[in-house]
Amino acid sequence: MILVIDAINRKHHTRLLEEMFRLRARVFAGRLGWDVEVSNGMEFDEFDMQDPIYLLGLDDADNVVSCVRLLQTTGPHMLSDVFSDILQGDPPLRAPTVWEATRFCVDTERLGMEHRGKGSVARATSELMSAIFDYARGCGILDIIGVVDPVMNRVLIRSDNAPYDYLGKTVQMGKTKAMAALMDCTQDRIDRVRAFAGIDYDVMVDEAALLQRLAARPVTASSLTEPLAQYLIDQIDAAQDPAELATTLALIDHVLEDQPQAGADPVAPQKESLGSA
Amino acid sequence: MSLHDLGAMPDPGKGLLDLLKEACDRLELECGAYAGFNHIDNSVHIAVSYPDAWKEHYQRNNLHEQDPAMLHAQRSQAPVSWSRLVDDPLYDRLFSAAADFGIPETGVTIPVRGPYGDKGLLSGTRKMSSEAWHKHLFRILPSMQVEAALLHDCVMQQGVVMRAINAPSLSLREIEMLQWSAAGKTQGDIADILSISSRTVEVHMRSARNKLGSMTTAQAVARAVGMGIIYPM
Repeated sequence: MILVIDAINRKHHTRLLEEMFRLRARVFAGRLGWDVEVSNGMEFDEFDMQDPIYLLGLDDADNVVSCVRLLQTTGPHMLSDVFSDILQGDPPLRAPTVWEATRFCVDTERLGMEHRGKGSVARATSELMSAIFDYARGCGILDIIGVVDPVMNRVLIRSDNAPYDYLGKTVQMGKTKAMAALMDCTQDRIDRVRAFAGIDYDVMVDEAALLQRLAARPVTASSLTEPLAQYLIDQIDAAQDPAELATTLALIDHVLEDQPQAGADPVAPQKESLGSA
Repeated sequence: MSLHDLGAMPDPGKGLLDLLKEACDRLELECGAYAGFNHIDNSVHIAVSYPDAWKEHYQRNNLHEQDPAMLHAQRSQAPVSWSRLVDDPLYDRLFSAAADFGIPETGVTIPVRGPYGDKGLLSGTRKMSSEAWHKHLFRILPSMQVEAALLHDCVMQQGVVMRAINAPSLSLREIEMLQWSAAGKTQGDIADILSISSRTVEVHMRSARNKLGSMTTAQAVARAVGMGIIYPM
């Protein structure tokens, strides 16, 4: 299910946004090896401060499994300011009816564990893509420029969602390449994407129901008692060399594994928040 | 920040109120407002076609500081349909006051971001049922996005400094499209000549029109010739 976060509902979804920034760190800094800045396990850049629109894909347990960021092309955006290599020095396209989609990613690790069908990578990608076109169309947007890597480009082509053209050239970005794909926000494209992935339902999440479920989630940090957390932090600070630090981190892993699981959250965020304390 | 009513200003702003009214007519909106925020000279520019009584009430009470549509849209890149603001504590106060002046709740605010951190907001409203309004909105939104960007650019081009930094920088593709248009070729012809899709021609044309502040391709070609960007043919 897809959730759209903009200026109006942003305040209700700070926790999901944090999860999204963690997913982006794992994908863009980790798997793709792009030169992006990660702090506290989260990938966040100057365009995230421009009030962008985010679309988040959520699995059945409301974990963030995919995301994308939308920016107006009339204002600062990645092709004009960061990915200018793709345009080979040519001025960027700027049009009020064209938005740029960046930081498009799917949590292949989490989804890869499941079988084909509803939770698969292809399905998650198609849900997100159809939601982007549908939402943008509802905002009066006619085309999307998507900055994607060749693997994502291949996924688009193979899921009956081929870009109708590309801007500039494909350039090397870290371990992989980046390209700017043009896609129209037409009902025709939305229908094709949905038909291919067998999506016969409304992909947008019921936000009121989601907020109720999120409110019912226990706070994860409470599973670790305050004195124990402080002790572990002190151990990290006291570590004299990498070997000692590794031993401490292994201890923390061990302690966290023994902790009772709270809610549907994975252990990873606890470890990260502990490490950054 | 100070409020400038561009509609009331004698020279540079003259025409903006007319442009706003024309835009509202084309979009079939009863009345509208434009607000531009220029972070380079830290000014706010306003043009309003609401009834005078509401305009005066709004200005006298500094309602722009308590207007949920203005406040949210400034922090948004997505259009703000006023119906989404009902949960905001400021909503009832503003719209109950607005109702006294005959301003309906069926409205939208389109935010525009410019390349230098400048922001513009185009609001429009029309009294009709909520259902009819949402249908109307879906139909006009693409044009309203364009009208909002044109009005915003028009305001941001005021003054020598702004004109200089906003000089249009067209991409090679955009110049190519305009040059072929000047040679009398249609969008379909250009797609065939360059072996690209008609949609690609269209997307570059739209960008070129926007950069040249033009509503139509003919106007964009005329301006590009005038500026020496392409050759007359």
